[in-house]
This record gives sequence, structure tokens and C-alpha cells, in this order.
Amino acid sequence: MPGNYMPSAAELFRFSPELLLTAAGTLLMIFEAITSPKQKRSLPVFAFLSLLAALALAVAASSDPGPAFNRMLQVDGFATFFRVLVMAIGAVTILISTNYLKQAEHEGGEFYSLVLFSVVGQCLMATANELIMIFIGIEVSSIATYVLAGYLRDDKRNNEAALKYFLLGSFATAFLLYGVAWIYGTTGTTNLSGVRGVLLDPQNAPNAILISVALGLVLVGLLFKVSAVPFQSWAPDVYQGAPAPVTAFMATGPKAAAFAAFLRITMWAFEPVKNHWIPVLWFTAIATMIVGNFAALRQSNVKRLLAYSSIAHAGYVLVALTAASKTGTEAAMFYMVSYAAMNLGAFAVIAHVARKGERRVEIDDFAGLGNRQPLTAAIFTVFLLSLIGVPLTGGFFAKFYVFKAALDSQLIALTIVGLLNSAVAAFYYLRLIVIMYMQPAPEGVDTLPEPSLGIRTALVACSLATVVLGVFPSLVLDIAGRGASFIR
Amino acid sequence: MQSHILSIVLFTPLAGLLVLLLIPGQNKFLIRLWANIAAALGFLVSVPMLLSFDRAKDGYQFVERADWIPSLGVQYLIGVDGISLLMVMLTTVMGFLAIFSSWTSIKDREKEYYAMFLLQQVGMVGVFISLDFLLFYTFWELVLVPMYFIIGIWGGPRKLYAAIKFFLYTLAGGVLMLLGILTLYFQYAQQFGRYTFEIAELMKLNMPLGLQQWVFWAFFLGFAIKVPMFPFHTWLPDAHTEAPTAGSVILAAVLLKMGTYGFIRFSLPLLPNASSDRTIVTILATLSLIGILYGAFVSLVQKDWKKLVAYSSVSHLGFCTLGIFALNQNGIAGSIIQQINHGISTGMLFLIVGVIYERRHTREIKEFGGLAHVMPNYAIVFAIAMLSSAGLPLLNGFVGEFTILQGAFEANKIWAAFAVLGIIFGAAYLLWLYQRTMLGEITNEKNRGLKDLNWREWAVFVPLIIWAVTIGVYPKPYFDILEKPVAQIVHRVHQSANMPLAAATVVPPIAAEARVR
Amino acid sequence: MPNQLAPAEVWFPILTQVVFAVVMAVALVGVGLALGKRVKNKVKDSPYECGITPVGSARNRFSVKFYLVAMLFILFDIEAIFLYPWAVVYRELKLFAFFEMLLFMALVLVGFFYIWKKGVLDWAVDETSDEKIQ
Repeated sequence: MPGNYMPSAAELFRFSPELLLTAAGTLLMIFEAITSPKQKRSLPVFAFLSLLAALALAVAASSDPGPAFNRMLQVDGFATFFRVLVMAIGAVTILISTNYLKQAEHEGGEFYSLVLFSVVGQCLMATANELIMIFIGIEVSSIATYVLAGYLRDDKRNNEAALKYFLLGSFATAFLLYGVAWIYGTTGTTNLSGVRGVLLDPQNAPNAILISVALGLVLVGLLFKVSAVPFQSWAPDVYQGAPAPVTAFMATGPKAAAFAAFLRITMWAFEPVKNHWIPVLWFTAIATMIVGNFAALRQSNVKRLLAYSSIAHAGYVLVALTAASKTGTEAAMFYMVSYAAMNLGAFAVIAHVARKGERRVEIDDFAGLGNRQPLTAAIFTVFLLSLIGVPLTGGFFAKFYVFKAALDSQLIALTIVGLLNSAVAAFYYLRLIVIMYMQPAPEGVDTLPEPSLGIRTALVACSLATVVLGVFPSLVLDIAGRGASFIR
Repeated sequence: MQSHILSIVLFTPLAGLLVLLLIPGQNKFLIRLWANIAAALGFLVSVPMLLSFDRAKDGYQFVERADWIPSLGVQYLIGVDGISLLMVMLTTVMGFLAIFSSWTSIKDREKEYYAMFLLQQVGMVGVFISLDFLLFYTFWELVLVPMYFIIGIWGGPRKLYAAIKFFLYTLAGGVLMLLGILTLYFQYAQQFGRYTFEIAELMKLNMPLGLQQWVFWAFFLGFAIKVPMFPFHTWLPDAHTEAPTAGSVILAAVLLKMGTYGFIRFSLPLLPNASSDRTIVTILATLSLIGILYGAFVSLVQKDWKKLVAYSSVSHLGFCTLGIFALNQNGIAGSIIQQINHGISTGMLFLIVGVIYERRHTREIKEFGGLAHVMPNYAIVFAIAMLSSAGLPLLNGFVGEFTILQGAFEANKIWAAFAVLGIIFGAAYLLWLYQRTMLGEITNEKNRGLKDLNWREWAVFVPLIIWAVTIGVYPKPYFDILEKPVAQIVHRVHQSANMPLAAATVVPPIAAEARVR
Repeated sequence: MPNQLAPAEVWFPILTQVVFAVVMAVALVGVGLALGKRVKNKVKDSPYECGITPVGSARNRFSVKFYLVAMLFILFDIEAIFLYPWAVVYRELKLFAFFEMLLFMALVLVGFFYIWKKGVLDWAVDETSDEKIQ
């Protein structure tokens, strides 16, 4: 590092969304400490607005792409794509959470400030062009999420989820860090572009075995973060135990950011040695899809069901990564957007139906929802159909692009397994639809209050996004295409 | 100049649906009324299309083209030729009658019910007019959802099982079909250096026989499940039996035709070598014949009136696929006419079951007998429907079956022989059904006070009867409309078969059309 | 190393420090022995006078405050540790590092302010009411 380092204004501008969010998160802590309970109502509004402001800044910053802080960060179309995505996820999470926390009698500014900090970490993962920065991003995002998972301190399931998530998560990051050390040892740099340069240089190509081990260790960490087989076992327990809005957040935000880092590492830094990692991802993708879908078939708890379904969806994204092409990267990016929209929406419905103490999270608790709250049920159906992958929803084009990318790269077996899997998946999503519409609500069921304003806004936003992605996929795909060209 | 008539036909039900959603749920009368108006409008806007269709012209008409997803080469490309024109008319007529026939029989969650029917209408019309493969697939899958809900919410006692089975079967088929579509798409990109789903463009492909066969089987699974062909038919009896009357009508009259239409529109012209491959043709014809005979035999032993009609569909659709894989003018034209006929006659048969079910709430055949005494008009309508389905001359069924037999005979005499057997059994189970339910003395006291058809039921049946008779007496317009497009398909299949894999590319009419524009 | 030093010269400062340490320790204990007043009772003789019994069941319940304080100590202690590397490279990094550390300290202060306001440092609160620590 040069002795007289001083970040330029341009660099600060590129990093401004993260700065804003950090400041907002810190301010929230102060406000939380000094405000009266009544004033605390405005804390989520503040968090929401600051996310929107950061989002606007991220879009503005994309007008002046480039590196920042000694090429530690790379603010390009790819980073902007994921930054905007995770910030939007954070904003929707806040919308879902307010009423939930009120019911749980656990309102507090800390929750929102933790969401903001986690989003900062995710933004860092998306922009990082440096393994150490990726590690720091993962840690910032994860530690905040660990706390969020156990936010309702008096709830045993929350505690269990938080502890499991924490222990397994730190274990995985340790692997990642160990891998980073190996990479530094073999290539002499932790900068992704630097690693790429070393790998491309035919003069002093590093030992293939060392590189494979290093990459393997990093992949373990990343596969854990995206809950891919064989590192998926934490996801169902944690997703089930955590508060529903937090589950929504965990299933989308950190996962999207992890895939961003994943893409940068595989498709940029380690692209020259892609023959080393393609077979690994090939097996992982197949196993993840199969394990996720078949385990989901047997679940009776809706949160657990969606947890397994999100494992399966990670499998589809891995198919796109296995394609190892620009189309594959685009497909993965598009997939994450539509996955985020439909999953956030689905968890929002669950948070709404579960209510205080989350006693209504069994499939049977959704019986008769079609009669009791037709609109909620209809919107939930849109999400479920999208998760199945029915045309005119985002889920269809997401899968479509993934399989197109796979076929483009001649991954025929993988595509067939994926397609058959998506037919299997239809079964368990349909079960939910069946219960909602075709089974009457049990006698003496208590009335379900109308969804709160926050949940309603979230549902409308997510369902609109799902449908728009299904009817006009070009809107997002073109942006993804431009973003993907930055890394490959 | 682009005419937007097809878009209007396609989106009128959707507009109707959106208005319907704005009507408050308590106002049941208004909901029913509006649904009927929207469906009637859906039919009325399709009439000008029929009238201005120029049957002397080659290729597609009323073509509309716009980019949908440019980066993938997906277009909003629609148009009709004689084949799709007839299918669209069948859809708009049956769609309206299905909604109209539900006036009294549906009393529960009517808004959703009619919304589903209108949505389904959009999907069905879309399937028949899409000239872009991905657009086609979108509509194909779109149809699945409303029918799933129609069976699952307003269906009979085993509706859950039937609905899920229906959905999963067709979805699995559709997914494999998508794989086939993607293969063509990539082949095209390899050969021509750009991506498109346009069917006329994909026809220029020059693929080796082996690959064509793979794609053919992928398509086959999608279409055969929908038709359904033996041995993929098992979802059909369940779905039909459990669906509400109007659902069965649409299912039989239109949805099944999407499968046969798929064979004619996609399998044959896109994969001419595979479609005329001796092994494949033999397998397909054999499956069709098994379907014809199996459907007829199983119908003979049914105790449930509706199930009997359902299995008769398997048999009738067997004729349609047999006609297609006779691969000649008569076979294919007959098949298409038979598809219309099946829509009319089986639609009527389901409506007839619906009429009696609404009065007695049972469909057990042995509960009935001698109904002709109390419901003479009903018996007459049933007789016409039954005879039309059995293929009596001067009624529509005869025209279709006869032409198919002609085609089958030209292709292979043994096929024709087996198919004739199917007709005989078909007559047997239908006549026996009629005898057991309508004729003889009244055996069950509960049947004594039954009311005959009311005006609304008459209004449903009369147009269908008229349609059946006109086709039976004067089928020429239908053959005229079908002549050119069918000849083109037959020509394409045989030409490619004779000079295998040469660069035999007929300039697709749609391309010509586009250039003119 | 600029120029060669004899081993004795190199080790001399260390030796000085060791000697000082030993002298200091011995002197302090010795002075205490010589001048201190002797009180002998049970409490005074126990190894840990601060209240934890060294023998017996270890499964006593502690007030949660102990843990809180322990955690806060670790947190702030670790934050303080960051000051050492900063001090080492301060001269090279110049003004940038100064502002960075200022920012860091401000954040630590916010944390301190937060726990203070949250009442973590209020020892006198009634044990039974958990109200203030939210």
C-alpha cells in the first residue's frame, strides 16, 4: 500500500451506498437508545428510506464504474446488479418485519440496523474484487444474520437456529479463509484479477494440484453459503427456526450475494482453470436439485418445505454456473432476481399466516385460505406457480434461461435431470395450492386478520415483479447481460 | 399492413376477465351475466375472422408480428391457416357454450369459476394461433393452470387426486416437449447463426434422422399425454369424471385437441423424416389402434355414465391420431374434421350427463332406465348426440371417421380393418348405454318426476345439433378450408421422405408474408 | 542490520529488563512482608478473596451481569488492540490513518453510548426486574 494513500472522491462515490447504509445503521442504534417507544415506530421507516436512498446511490454510482480502494472493490455493472438486488431484498424484508415484530412484542431499532449491516456485507461481497474483501463481506453479512436468526431471544427455536447457523457458518468461513491462504500461497496474491493474471500466465503457471486444493477449499465455503449439497443440512433447521421475515431475508439476500461472489471467483478469477471446477459443480448441481426436491416432497411444515425448495433452487443456479459461459452468468443473475421476488413473497405470506409465536406454519394451517382471504391466497398462488416454473411468471424464464445456458454448453444430462426435477417440484408446490383452495378451513379456526400495510406492500411488489419478469423478461435480462459482460 | 383481428380474438376473454375481477363477489347475477357476455363477445369477434379468411390463399393469414424477447429471438407471432382457423372457431364456440351451460350448475365461488374459464379461453386460443414456439409453449402451459383449478375446486369427490394427476402428467409432458423445442432452437442457431423460435424458420432446419427421432419422442411425450394416447391416457378418465360439466366439455372439446394439433402443426412439418420413419409410424399407428379398441372395450364395461363418455374419448382420439399418421391428405383432413366432430358430439354427451346429474346427483347407469318416458326431448337430444358420436351417416361423426378410414386404408389396409372394428364397438357401447338409460320401463321411482330440458339447456344444445347436422350433410367447406394447409404438410413430409435430408426447403409462406409486409 | 554488534551488546537491554523485573517483584513482596499488618481469618486465607469458592460444586448460578461485563470487556479490549498496529504504521499512513482511526473510535463510542443508554452499566437496578436491559 502506498504510504500517502488517500481515497479519491470518485472512489468514495463508488462506495457511497455502503457508507450511507453503515451510517444509517449506526444512527439507528443511537436512535434506538434515545427515543421513546412511540417515536420508535418511525425507525423502520428510516431504515427503509435509507435503503432506498442507498439503492438510488448505487444506481448513480454505476454511471462511473471502476475500481476503488486499490482495486479491492470493483464497481461495475455486475456489482451494481447485485447491489441493487440485495438492497431491494433488504427493503422488502423491512416491510415484512414490522408487523411481525409488533406481534412478537419485540420491536426495536436493532433489528433494522442489523438488516442494514447485513446488506452492507452483501454489497461488499458483490463489489469485492479481492478474496479478503469477500471474506470480510461474508463475515459482516453473516454475523448480522446470525443475530437476526436468534432475534426473539425467548424463543427456543430461534436460539437453536441462531446457534446452528453460527457454528456451521463459522466453520464454513474458516474453510473459505483457509482456501484464501492457499491461494495466496500458490499465486502470491489475493486480488481476483491478480489471480486470474497468474493463472493465465503460461510462463509461471502454478502447480495444478495446489490450485485445485485451494479452489476446493474456497468452494466448500461458498457452497455452504448457498446451501448446496453436501453442505445443505443446516438450511432446513435454520430456516424453520428463525423468525419468518428473517428466513425470507436469509433465503434470498445472503444467497444472492454468495452467488455474486461465487460468480466472480469462478467465472473471473478461476475461469482459466475452469476444467477443474466444472465437474465439481456438475455433481453438486445434480445432487442439490435432487436432494432439495425429494426432501421437500415429504415436508409438512411450510417453512421447512420452502427451505428444501430453496436448496433445490440453488441447484438450478448451479446448473447455470456449470455452464461456465456468459449466458450461464446471465441466467444465474436473472434467476436470483426472480427467485428473490417469489421467495420473499412466499415467506411474506407465511409470516402473515403464522402470526404471533409462529404456531401456524403447518401445511394444514393454510386450509381454506382461498376462501378466508382470496386475495392473499391468489398472490401466494402466483408465487407458487412461479416456483413451479409455469410460463408468464418469473420462475419460468429463470429456469428457461438456466437450461438454455446449460444446453448451450452441451450439458444435456444436466438439463434433463433439471427439467425432470422441476416436474417433481410441481408436486409439493401444488399440495399447498390444493390445501388453500380445495380443502375447507377446519372448524373453529380463528379469524385471520387482514395483512398489514407493510405485508400488503411487499406482496404487491413481489407479485408484480414476478409477473413482470414473466411477461417482459428482457427488462432484467438485458441488464443482466450487460452486467455479466464485466466478468465474462 | 397488420390486421389485429387475431389479437382481438386472443385478448377479448382477457379483457372480459379483468372487468370480471372488478365486479364485487356478492353480486352473483352480475358476475354470471358478465361472464356470459364476455364469452359471447369472444365468439362474436372470431366471426369476422372466419368470414374474411381467404381459403384460396396459401399459408398463414392475419399474421401479427412483434418482438417479445429480442435477446432470445422470441416473437409475438400469431397467424392462422385453415387448420388453426377451425380450431379457434371450435374454441370460441365451445368456450361460450361451456360458460353458458354453467348458469345454474355452479353456485359456489362463481367469480373465480368464470375467471378461470375466461383465462383458459385465452390460453386455448393462444395455443392454436401461435407461430412462435416459445409463445406456443407459454400458452400451452397457461392452459394447465385454470383447468387444474376447475377440476380441483368445482370437481367431484376425488377432485384432488384427479386435479394433481392431470397437472403433473401434462406438466411432465410439457417439460420434455420444452427440451425438444430447445434442441431445435440450438440446431437452428448452429446452422443459421441466429436464434429464433419462429416455426416457419425452424422448418428450414436440416437435421440428421437420429436427432429428429429424439426430438420427435420429446414432442411425442408432450402431445401424446395431452391427446391422450394409450398408454398415457390414465389421467383422462379421472379428470373427466371429477371435473364439473363445463370443465369436461372444454377438456374434451378443446384441450385434448391441443395434442393432436401439436402433432399436425409441429411434429410432422418440423420433423418430416422422423414422422415418416417406418418404425415411428408403425408404433404411433399401433398405439392409436390400441387406443381405439381399448377405449371402446373399457367403455363397454363402465358403470358410470360420465366415465363411459370419458373412455369413449380415448377411442375417438385414437381415430384422430391414426388419421394423422396415415400421412396422407385424407387421413389428416379427416383427423382434423374428426377433432371438430369429437368436440361437438362428446361435448354434447358430457352436457347430457351434466343435465341428468344436476337433476339426480348420480351418474350410475343402473340408476336410470326409461328416461325417454319422462324426458322425451332429452332423449331426442341424447339420441342425436349418440348417433353423431357413433358415426351415423348424415351426421358429423360419419364424415370424419369415414375420411380417416379412407386415409388409413390408403396407408395400410390392416389399420383400416382394426379401425372399423373400433367403430363397431363404438356403436355398441353407445347404443347399449342409450338402451339402458333411455329405453324400456322406468325402473327407478326417483326418475318419475324429472323435468325435461328447460330453455337454457335447449339453447346450449340447439347450436351444437345444427352444427353437427351441417357438417354431416355438407362437409365440403371444411374440406375446402383444410385442403391447402393439409396438402402442404403432406407434401413436406413426403418430399423429405423421398429425398432424405437434402436441402429441401420450401419457402415457408410466412416468410413470404413477412416480406410483403 | 546496519552494523555488526557484539552479542553482548544485543542482549544487554533484555538483561536489564529481566534484572529490573526480578528486583521489582522481590522488592514489592519483601516490602509487603516487612511492613504489612497480618490478619488471619478464613476469608483472608482463601485463594480468591473476590467471592468465588474454590472448592465445592462448580455449578453455581451467576448473575447474568458477570457475563455481560465479560463480553463487554472482550469487545472493547479487542477494539483497543486495533490501536497497536495502527500506532506502528501511523507514520507511514499519515493523515488518512488518523481520520480512519478517528472514525473507528467514534464507532466504538457509539457502541459505548448504546450500551450505556440501554442500561447495561446500571448495576444498581433491581435484580428481579429485567426491564431496563432490552
